[in-house]
Amino acid sequence: MKLTFLIASALAVASAATAAKAADIEFWYGNTGVIEKSIQDSCVAFNASQSQHKVTCVGQGSYEVAMQKAIAAYRAKKAPVLMQFFDAGTLDLMLSGAVEPVSTALPDVNWKDYLGGARSFYETAKGELLSQPYNGSTLILYGNREMLAKVGITSLPATYEALIDDARKLKDAGIDCPFATDGHPWRVLEQFAARHGAAIATKHNGYDGLDAVYSFNKGIVADHMQNLKAWRDAGLIRLQQDTKTGKYDAAFNTGECAMIEGSTGGYGAAYKALGDKVVIGLAPMYEGKTRHNTLIGGASIWIMKGHSPAELAAGKAFLDFLRRDDQQIEFAGKTGYLPMTGTAMVALKASGKSGDPQFATAELGVTSLDEPATEDSRGVRLGFYVQFRDVFMKETQKAFNGEKMMQQALDDAAQQGNDLLRRFEKTYSGAALQ
Amino acid sequence: MRQTFYSGGWLYAALVAPILILIFTFFYLPVGLAFYWSFFLEKPFGGGSQFVGLENFARVLLDAGFWSSLWRTFLFMMLAASFGILLALLLALAADRGIRTSRIARNVLIWPKAIAGASIGIVFTFIFNPFLGLFAPLNEVFPGLWNPRIDGADAFATVVIAQVWTGIPFNFIILLSGLQTIPDTLIKAAAMDGASAWRRVRDIQLPLLTPQLFLTFVLEFVQTAVDPFGLIDTMTNGGPGDSTTLLIYKIYTDGFHSYDLSGAATQTVLLMLFVIAMVLVQFRLEKRVKYER
Repeated sequence: MKLTFLIASALAVASAATAAKAADIEFWYGNTGVIEKSIQDSCVAFNASQSQHKVTCVGQGSYEVAMQKAIAAYRAKKAPVLMQFFDAGTLDLMLSGAVEPVSTALPDVNWKDYLGGARSFYETAKGELLSQPYNGSTLILYGNREMLAKVGITSLPATYEALIDDARKLKDAGIDCPFATDGHPWRVLEQFAARHGAAIATKHNGYDGLDAVYSFNKGIVADHMQNLKAWRDAGLIRLQQDTKTGKYDAAFNTGECAMIEGSTGGYGAAYKALGDKVVIGLAPMYEGKTRHNTLIGGASIWIMKGHSPAELAAGKAFLDFLRRDDQQIEFAGKTGYLPMTGTAMVALKASGKSGDPQFATAELGVTSLDEPATEDSRGVRLGFYVQFRDVFMKETQKAFNGEKMMQQALDDAAQQGNDLLRRFEKTYSGAALQ
Repeated sequence: MRQTFYSGGWLYAALVAPILILIFTFFYLPVGLAFYWSFFLEKPFGGGSQFVGLENFARVLLDAGFWSSLWRTFLFMMLAASFGILLALLLALAADRGIRTSRIARNVLIWPKAIAGASIGIVFTFIFNPFLGLFAPLNEVFPGLWNPRIDGADAFATVVIAQVWTGIPFNFIILLSGLQTIPDTLIKAAAMDGASAWRRVRDIQLPLLTPQLFLTFVLEFVQTAVDPFGLIDTMTNGGPGDSTTLLIYKIYTDGFHSYDLSGAATQTVLLMLFVIAMVLVQFRLEKRVKYER
């Protein structure tokens, strides 16, 4: 009883404290490492820049965990004012009724200034922007200059055919891990399909309705997955599970693997580990295919409903702060994420810093996002997509370890994905895509 | 006359209330909610759920993933419980014989009980690391022979081993205390009649140990069904593929990773029924056992 009393009084004190200082708000995010440090730097800078509001930035360990906690917190009416959600959760959030579109909350901002690729991912059909793009990234190819030079490779391969030729040379030269991947659908499915102009689901990846059906199990994605399996079996590429560290990006950063496909957001960590040995290029294509845009990855900041005007004002002020050109440029320079607005890009070029190695991803990433778009490369708007990513990983791992054929695994993943889509449709029956 | 220390019923109520409140809040309420949710389709962020009758049950029961994880759970229960008890029994028999170091062993063997599942998981992840762990030399000779990160059977084995390791201390205590209640005179008499050590185990100690063996079996079965969560979460995350996705872990991933609260609630109900059924079967079996006391 004493304990209960103590807890009760502690809670009472805590809630009294929040009531007294209403402009004291929280921002939850999921990143760790170099990126987490940069986010914390931004928070400190914001709090130092003015005295009216105070934002406390709380790391949750990963995007998935952050989203789980936000859901639990929202149900308990304790959600933070600002919440970073990752790309895959977009449709779930859009229909959740738990968030307020940033373009409604901040009508005076020129949202059109954001990169087209970022807008199309986070925009409703009516043109409302749901969230403020924050740590936007995209997929690029990383190479280790020193390892590649050993076999006389001076530039990164532009096609998968060339990549495998290079892998063969590296393997013959005694490099056990020419290329590593984690087989995560963000890399091998979403980004791959988008830049090859292929859809992963009908209705333009779900943009045109909740009744979309997965279609990636036929066509170029299926071919690519078959190839990955064959290449792994031939020892030309490695899954991250085959590497010493067990993580594809760590395997690259420690110099175990010569090449990876990774997010621009990993550049900060790679550069810190390998310095100017890191070379980057556009993610490879299959020969004879037209290159389209890659998708914006990373995460964006959402305003969660259920807060007082004073708290909202603090949230808006923090969003305004993060949107400033200098803040975007600083964050990009520390992490490898991309400047998200046209003016920030212009400001970066004007500052003369765009040639610096720490900004190497900015131009390349934006080039990749700005390749010609199709209806199928706008983004992914599929329900319970976070769960589908798990399904895809689970099924393809069964193909990689020989439990089933890759085609079977892809068919099974599509089947389970469709069950998820139908359940999502039912859970939000009556809700239309806005 | 009532054999009481306190007078008046209210004081009893007040003294019992804390534990009742705890049990209610942390057991009956969640179980009740799970039952309730299993009949509804619940939106992840709240704000409206709809009654769907038995549809969630139909969905779960038609899902091949549910059945394969239930089968895996059953296999895990059988393997982990059997080995956990068998090894504990061997150790207890040895400790009971009073051979050298058995006094120390009695102490040392109980320590692992104090370690949380998640910590054990992390330690075993290192032990079974394909490049740095115990079997790394094997991989040097036959590359790729041992890799629980990608090989489902390897991964399942690591989780079973870790679970057995966590189960031994408790079983050991129960079985050892059981052995020590067996009158020394019986063993001595048997020894004087020329019964070998193995004979004494089979004909005297095991039959007299049945109550303790039964207890450990029941507890192990329940334990292995609901306990390996911490191990799986730290060691394999249910992978590779779904080779270590036991039902208890599937409920967690469905509910919290995939925001499928209704599906998770439904599977919770089914898991509970499954465990209850298993225990009932065991009690049925127990009735057939004639205790030699």
